[in-house]
Amino acid sequence: MGSEAYTALPMDLDGSKRDERDSDVMKLNLKILVLLSVVSTWVMGVPGVMAQSATAPDSAPLDVEQLFASTCGWCHSDGGRVAGKGPQLMDSARSDDFLRDRIKTGKSGAMPAFGSVYSDAQIDEIIKYIRSLKPHQG
Amino acid sequence: MMKQMSCLALISSIAIVASSASAQTVDTARIEAGGQNDWLTYHGSYKSYHYSPLSQINASNVSNLSVAWIHIPGRSTRGLQSMPLVADGVLYYTGSYSRVFALNGATGEVIWSYFPELDEALIARQTHSPYNRGVAIGDGKVYVGTMDGRLIALEMKTGKVAWDTKLVDSQKLTVGFTGAPLYAKGTVVIGAQGGEWPGRGPIFGVDAATGKKKWEFLTVAGTDEATKTWGNDSWRTGGGGGWMPGTYDSETSTVWWGTANPAPLYDWSGNDYKTQGARPGDNLYTSSVIGLDVDSGKLKFHHQELPHDAWDFDSAVGEFVMLDKDGQKLVVHPNKSGYIFVYDRSANVKNVWRITENSNFVKSIDPKTGELIGRRDFSAGKVDEPLCPHISGGVSFNAGSYNPKTGLYYKLGQEWCMTLDVVKTTPVTAPQAQLNIGANFKIAPPPGGEIYGHLDARDPVSGAKKWEVRFPEPPLASVLSTAGNLVFVPDSRGVVHAYDAENGTELWSHSDGTGHQGGIISYSAGGKQYVAVTAGFGGMASDDYAPTFGGVYKSMPRDDGALIVYSLK
Repeated sequence: MGSEAYTALPMDLDGSKRDERDSDVMKLNLKILVLLSVVSTWVMGVPGVMAQSATAPDSAPLDVEQLFASTCGWCHSDGGRVAGKGPQLMDSARSDDFLRDRIKTGKSGAMPAFGSVYSDAQIDEIIKYIRSLKPHQG
Repeated sequence: MMKQMSCLALISSIAIVASSASAQTVDTARIEAGGQNDWLTYHGSYKSYHYSPLSQINASNVSNLSVAWIHIPGRSTRGLQSMPLVADGVLYYTGSYSRVFALNGATGEVIWSYFPELDEALIARQTHSPYNRGVAIGDGKVYVGTMDGRLIALEMKTGKVAWDTKLVDSQKLTVGFTGAPLYAKGTVVIGAQGGEWPGRGPIFGVDAATGKKKWEFLTVAGTDEATKTWGNDSWRTGGGGGWMPGTYDSETSTVWWGTANPAPLYDWSGNDYKTQGARPGDNLYTSSVIGLDVDSGKLKFHHQELPHDAWDFDSAVGEFVMLDKDGQKLVVHPNKSGYIFVYDRSANVKNVWRITENSNFVKSIDPKTGELIGRRDFSAGKVDEPLCPHISGGVSFNAGSYNPKTGLYYKLGQEWCMTLDVVKTTPVTAPQAQLNIGANFKIAPPPGGEIYGHLDARDPVSGAKKWEVRFPEPPLASVLSTAGNLVFVPDSRGVVHAYDAENGTELWSHSDGTGHQGGIISYSAGGKQYVAVTAGFGGMASDDYAPTFGGVYKSMPRDDGALIVYSLK
């Protein structure tokens, strides 16, 4: 189809048909992705893809170091070791309950709420990572 | 003589008709012309000069400039980042959460206001939120984007909702709109956030009359050609977007837009970025300048300023200075890296120059071809030499100003760097974890010096510098120049400065009480010239200021703001 050659998606009369087609493709892709993630987990023996899955089950282990490099580190600089846009997390005087609540509900204008993204068990892993933070060697 | 007089009479009668008619209509021709008294689109006019031809306030009387009125929008979470617009003496601007106000430009009296009901639970999950950078006007309506993925049209006279169109599934993608829309030829164009999120960073064209979506351009793998530039189907990781408004070339009906970076921001490919790493290939159309047909959204041309952007120095700056110089029609576009690209009207490179002192992500960029020379592509692990500039950019998303009277381009440059530890991460293809950075980092001073910012007055085409003013902390707001031989710079500490446009001598300054990171404009209402500036700090770049600089930033609010309007005493 010529219209596939460039990006502008015509959104008029045949829009709904296109949407259905796209959603079928999406479903198929999703199935492939799920299959791939199962295979890669099995082959590599690491829970890589699970950490970022949209439907992360509560028991899924979280690679918190990766999480800091992809998300948290934007504000908590150097993997949480120094202050950036957000406070330094290494040696934080805050209680576990405070950290848990802040991760879950966020702070308006400062920190997003991750309560709908991570389970309690995963948030506990994040807190465990924060408690284990040490300055870089050398 | 008679002939001349009747000619004059005709011109003045046309002018009267035009001004009474224009109170009703802001259309493409009027935005193109810019007008003497108005500020009709984000960049002033389609020429994008951020320049006012008014000269009532000028270098000889600016010392008498003082506050005329103030407006407090409330709930200014992460400050105010909006560019006010003015048509026929009415000022339109936005606060955080897409609050829209129409104010009497002479008095500040509220004519109408509109606070959209937003998905607050969604906004609580967002990182680059809830600030808003302004509205577009045209065809009797005011247009504003929202953080929950909608574009809303309000009746210009009453503020009543004309239509409300959902464009982005923000619940799923966690992103929406912070940038101002652009109105041109019956179409409202708006770009979604992108960059750090899995998604394809769409730019939309919407029918101004009905709110119906006309087209959608995907900045990530939007064509067959582009899809081939994302190895291993990495387009699923996405990025892109076009979160700042561009401009419009009415001669060719072309929308000019800048696109954001691919995700993850930092790749671990090393030198083999074409075949290795997180997103093998050039990653079209991220970090690019694109030209879209305003009616169809069809891609007409593009130039990828940073093929395979591995530094988050994207092209999303929406400033396209349309010059008509020495018989050449040129377009000047600053890239976040601090390099300034000069194009013809089809995005062919005519020159490239650099505004920053400290820059090492490439050795240089070929001024004839735009090719990156000596690029630094990192492998996983600690990066030895700090990366310059810092992730906040060699230039901000805010705009500079071109003054056709002096022929100079006034633009802020930022001198700062960052340490970086690139981390090989699992591709994020399911949108939920907010960001996709790919590194741990922290801000750092340039080698052998301190962080600072500078206002440069330069030739926009050659980059030749005439003068420079330095600031201890990089100013983040937009710049304004006027026919009164003035350049205004709202700085980060909260002071607005006025300089002599010819030589950079400071002529006036005034404290607005909090830092600036938004727009500044000039307009006329009731025969009097005003300068309007948004004050209010907070957000992705300014949140670094308290831990980095201390001082006044330690107590500076990040949830407050005001529109401050100046006139002569």
